[in-house]
Amino acid sequence: MRRLLTVLLLASAAVGISLPARAHNVLISSDPKDGAALSAAPALITLVFDQAVRQGYAQVGVTGPDGAAMADGAASVAAEKVTLKVKPLTAAGAYIVGYRILSADGHPVTGKITFRLTGPAAAAPETAPRTAAQTAPGTAAASDDADSARAAEAAANGGAGMAVVWIVAALLLLAAGTGVALRRARPAETGPGTNADAPGETGPADASSADAARESGPGGEGRA
Amino acid sequence: MSVERCEAPPRRRALARGGGVVAGVFLACAVVSAVVASGLTAQEAVPGIPMPGLLVAYGLPVVRVVLDLAAVAVVGMSLLPKLLGFEHPERTEPVMRRVRPLTVTAAWVWAASALLTIVFQTAELNPGSVPTPAMIAGYVDSVGTGQGLLFSAACALAAAGIGLMAVRFGEKVPAELRIVVALFGLLPIPVTGHAVNSVWHDPIMISMESHVMGAAAWAGGLAAVTVFVAPRRELLAVVLPRFSRIATVCLLVVSLSGLVTGLGTMALTPGVELPGAILTSEYGLLVVAKLALAALLVPLAAHIRFRLLPAIRGGAATAVVAWATAELAVMGLAYGVAVAITRASIG
Repeated sequence: MRRLLTVLLLASAAVGISLPARAHNVLISSDPKDGAALSAAPALITLVFDQAVRQGYAQVGVTGPDGAAMADGAASVAAEKVTLKVKPLTAAGAYIVGYRILSADGHPVTGKITFRLTGPAAAAPETAPRTAAQTAPGTAAASDDADSARAAEAAANGGAGMAVVWIVAALLLLAAGTGVALRRARPAETGPGTNADAPGETGPADASSADAARESGPGGEGRA
Repeated sequence: MSVERCEAPPRRRALARGGGVVAGVFLACAVVSAVVASGLTAQEAVPGIPMPGLLVAYGLPVVRVVLDLAAVAVVGMSLLPKLLGFEHPERTEPVMRRVRPLTVTAAWVWAASALLTIVFQTAELNPGSVPTPAMIAGYVDSVGTGQGLLFSAACALAAAGIGLMAVRFGEKVPAELRIVVALFGLLPIPVTGHAVNSVWHDPIMISMESHVMGAAAWAGGLAAVTVFVAPRRELLAVVLPRFSRIATVCLLVVSLSGLVTGLGTMALTPGVELPGAILTSEYGLLVVAKLALAALLVPLAAHIRFRLLPAIRGGAATAVVAWATAELAVMGLAYGVAVAITRASIG
């Protein structure tokens, strides 16, 4: 028993170390900043988390002062950055950026940041060149990042291949357990003579308890 | 023998009813506490983002707590042959004949609820749509939690298979094997909770593993002893002292590893200031709630250990079932809070 427990503890240590669990993501910064008052409308919202965000499942929405959804397309994830293009923001007032991303440890994390647009709508042409310059390299870098991040994530997770390995390992464990159990069962059935070399404290008692079990049938009176 | 046969049916029915009450109290406390704690700490809806529906929001904690309790039941009932010992099969066999089929049933419930949890978690990540097999496969493929639950379900099925062999072959199927397979199925459970991203990742994972296994052995062992052994005074006189030693170790392991995991996770999460965050963050409040429940367990356990145990050893009748049921109720509440804590936001 003690030996088995030791094996179990070592196994748990090994599994604990190799398991792909990672931390809960936390928003550490954003552009625009939470609560910022902007005079010029941003064309791109960037949320930065403390560590890589899972590909897929990331949702970001921008709600304008009149309640309209201002997102232009879906959010894109590049390592720890989540970016979202927004339609030209014309109305001054409070905007809410809501997000729901899949954290590295597999939990959905929701939250929001707010910013105010103070400038008049006329600011739009003025921001156009600036945002164009900002988005062009940004998106190129983002797609590169996204590719490498996806590859790294697949490598770290092992993907479906890992799940198959786990299941095969479990079935092997089951088969080994079955084999051991049957091997232990057989000498007890042939008679008390061979039972003597069955190791461990449970040998003789096993045989008699098994006899008792056989006498009344397998689990026949289970939950009368 | 024949005299015993005549008396058996009504007595056994009474025993089954008493056991049902104990298990029902444990289950009800856990489910209520899981739903309440998850409801209180649910992530707020944010504008512009679709959120999962009520069925998922409340169904997920319920399915998750059923998974935990089924695993606890399997672990507890697998420990029972070790606690009963093998010296007096004529006394222990009647107990084990009831326990073995129930172990198989509990293992099936464990496997089914683990698979159902995968479906619910897929639905949670894809709000507004019913999960399709392709979505579920994608979830298992990309998220470690899905793989962990799948592994847990596989172990539960293995436990069911070995349990069936135990039903057929009795105690010739080694008790240690059943215990190890059941505990093995618990190993991936911490993956479904929080983790930290630092050099302390491995120590905290091991601490979480011992927390989960210690809690399962403690609660499961107590439930199994209370339901199946407590009505038989002569057996209880032997079994309870043995379990008491295990329970003492479990109490120490569970509270220590719980403190290490809870405080460590908070300390290592960026943007969390430790002394203050305990009372301001949802995670911190849930850690405090679990600590309070653990503190509540100590006097209940001590009463059984120091007041009742000497009398039980002597074979006297005691109110041990009532005290153990109270202890199990507190443990059920702690399990419910545990479901919420794996999902609460830390920051």
